[in-house]
Amino acid sequence: MGSPCHFALFDLQPGFRLDQELLAARYREMARQIHPDRFADASEREQRLALEQSASLNEAYSTLKSASQRARYLLALRGPELPLEVTVQDPDFLLQQMQLREELEDLHDSADLAGVAQFKRRLKVAQDELNESFAVCWDDASRREEAERLMRRMQFLDKLSHEVRQLEERLDD
Amino acid sequence: MALLQIAEPGQSPQPHQRRLAVGIDLGTTNSLVAAVRSGLSEPLADAAGQVILPSAVRYHADRVEVGEVAKAAASADPLNTVLSVKRLMGRGLADVKQLGDQLPYRFVGGESHMPFIETVQGPKSPVEVSADILKVLRQRAEATLGGELVGAVITVPAYFDDSQRQATKDAARLAGLNVLRLLNEPTAAAVAYGLDQHAEGVVAIYDLGGGTFDISVLRLTGGVFEVLATGGDSALGGDDFDHAIAGWIVQQAGISSDLDPAQQRLLLEAACAAKEALTDSPSVTLSYAGWAGLLSREQFDALIEPMLARSLKACRRAVRDAGIELDEVEAVVMVGGSTRVPRVRQAVAELFAREPLTDIDPDQVVAIGAAIQADALAGNKRGDGEELLLLDVIPLSLGLETMGGLMEKVIPRNTTIPVARAQDFTTYKDGQTAMMVHVLQGERELISDCRSLARFELRGIPPMVAGAAKIRVTFQVDADGLLSVAARELASGVEASIQVKPSYGLTDGEIARMLQDSFKNAGDDKVARVLREQQVDAQRLLEAVEAALLADGERLLDADERMAIDAQIELLRDLMAGTDGLAIEQQTKRLTQVTDAFAARRLDATVKAALAGRSLDEIEE
Repeated sequence: MGSPCHFALFDLQPGFRLDQELLAARYREMARQIHPDRFADASEREQRLALEQSASLNEAYSTLKSASQRARYLLALRGPELPLEVTVQDPDFLLQQMQLREELEDLHDSADLAGVAQFKRRLKVAQDELNESFAVCWDDASRREEAERLMRRMQFLDKLSHEVRQLEERLDD
Repeated sequence: MALLQIAEPGQSPQPHQRRLAVGIDLGTTNSLVAAVRSGLSEPLADAAGQVILPSAVRYHADRVEVGEVAKAAASADPLNTVLSVKRLMGRGLADVKQLGDQLPYRFVGGESHMPFIETVQGPKSPVEVSADILKVLRQRAEATLGGELVGAVITVPAYFDDSQRQATKDAARLAGLNVLRLLNEPTAAAVAYGLDQHAEGVVAIYDLGGGTFDISVLRLTGGVFEVLATGGDSALGGDDFDHAIAGWIVQQAGISSDLDPAQQRLLLEAACAAKEALTDSPSVTLSYAGWAGLLSREQFDALIEPMLARSLKACRRAVRDAGIELDEVEAVVMVGGSTRVPRVRQAVAELFAREPLTDIDPDQVVAIGAAIQADALAGNKRGDGEELLLLDVIPLSLGLETMGGLMEKVIPRNTTIPVARAQDFTTYKDGQTAMMVHVLQGERELISDCRSLARFELRGIPPMVAGAAKIRVTFQVDADGLLSVAARELASGVEASIQVKPSYGLTDGEIARMLQDSFKNAGDDKVARVLREQQVDAQRLLEAVEAALLADGERLLDADERMAIDAQIELLRDLMAGTDGLAIEQQTKRLTQVTDAFAARRLDATVKAALAGRSLDEIEE
């Protein structure tokens, strides 16, 4: 048995632009129905089913919540499964990434908290721009290559924002 | 939909007949039991009207005392009176020894790795001691509510790991309780607070108890309590404040810190009394063993400042993990007796820039919340028709050991439970038929810095070349936060699985330290990780070269060539024993270069043989 589409699970049309509030509301609605707490008294088999279904629901929700994971999921729906790691042929973007990482190192060395806050704002702007670009091209089969490139860029920026968080932890000592 | 049916029609409870269920806060210092009665959740009192049961157990040869009486005997009979047993739950003997001088008991090893406390009634495990506390609460509940309990929700600190949760569940079973759910303490507090205040939005729960500290950030939406992030620092609690004051007394009085168990108890009791007095007075007079002195609130504040700073750091981290900013937190709720310390309240107020809420008694709020959850799980409908749903997270990342002693995360911390996630791995050597699955919990990259939860072996993998087998390891965490792991080779369908039941553990401090170190040492980790990767690469190459030499060395190499390769192998071996990653990397490259021609010749030979109609396998033979 194949698992149903994540979007269908929440009664949503597959799409990149997503009403997060609506998604969250549907998630809570679904979770209420199938959470193991609703089956504390049920048979072992029902408890197991509730556990499995809740786990899939949580997985679907976390995939759709994140822009980069949602992008990846959409591309996989429309085409072949995408390998997790590939050699990225995107020299300009990679160069820019290296510069951003160097900047981050400098912020670390100078323990510049205001600088980190500003860096975060810039990162957010860059992410929003990427999301916009992806939203207009992912559904166009002729622009598949572009969409894949944008999705990989999103993943890079995710990693970068993870690194910003780690930097904040270190500066918090 | 059959799935939605909670009870079989024949088994449905009679209308208006409530099924009796309780919430139990099994605390380090104090324990409580609460139940929903007439739509109101409240703690249940004993015959003397006392709600709080000190978590103290004294063993006599023929009977057991629990609570105030036992606590009062702690300094007179320190070896047979167990306090703060929660700090020992799910721990191994070696871990407990690390707690060292803080504990006046005599420990003995049992059949499992669990530590046993030697008492006049024989050896007692922490699980048994906890069960003795739970039995008293169960009896109290049955006497008060007038019937047998359907079950109980037992609370645990949010950062409790798998073995500590398992130990708690075992203790409840031993006490004859049906565990409906293990519930995280800050989540329980959020339920009590949220329903009481009809709160919506983002709430932080600051829970500083006797021996444990938790911070949880939740979003409350129409009866749904969604934990966004949780964190803890278990080297923190009222007990640690007492130890700080005790250390100060020892220093001021100029007495030896080498005290016998009875003296140690008396000193801690004096320290605890002083701490409590300082909540209402600006200073307190202390006397101990002929010495007397004055401790001001300012001095006390200074003593606890480093601990307080650590708790605030954990708060900032949890807020970051929740993906929000500090000013988006709309309410802060104080939980745990130690939040009565004025400096604690002040510091939390400063951090969140808002006055923390103390509307519900910080000692009772956890049990009150647990009772509400227990009532719902037992199938009783809530009066206001609003159904409750708690969505909690795992506090520490779960993962597997990969090559080179590294931890590969399968489920990151703060993932909503229940969760199931799979990761694929492959074999490392040609013809490998078994694979060790080593399950870990923690945030650091090296396995030696994480907690080992379980190990099991997947056997019977059909022999294949290295990298050809596809082994899928699936992690499943249930609503109690308990983990089970299964491994399966996809081509052959060979399976192995385990319910993770670790029999040993780390100290509270170690878990907290694991988390803290992972942030502090992110830099060091990276260096260590790079080194491991270099060592693994080198090892791989060595094994490949040696296998090739064994197969074709004689046939395809002359004596000089062979000597040159052997010399480079020797050099690489020497370097691999050291920690110079760069040198290892360079030597790995050199060995690759010097074996390049050999590899090319082997490839040629293979191609020729293939053209001659022989299979690759025959050439490998």
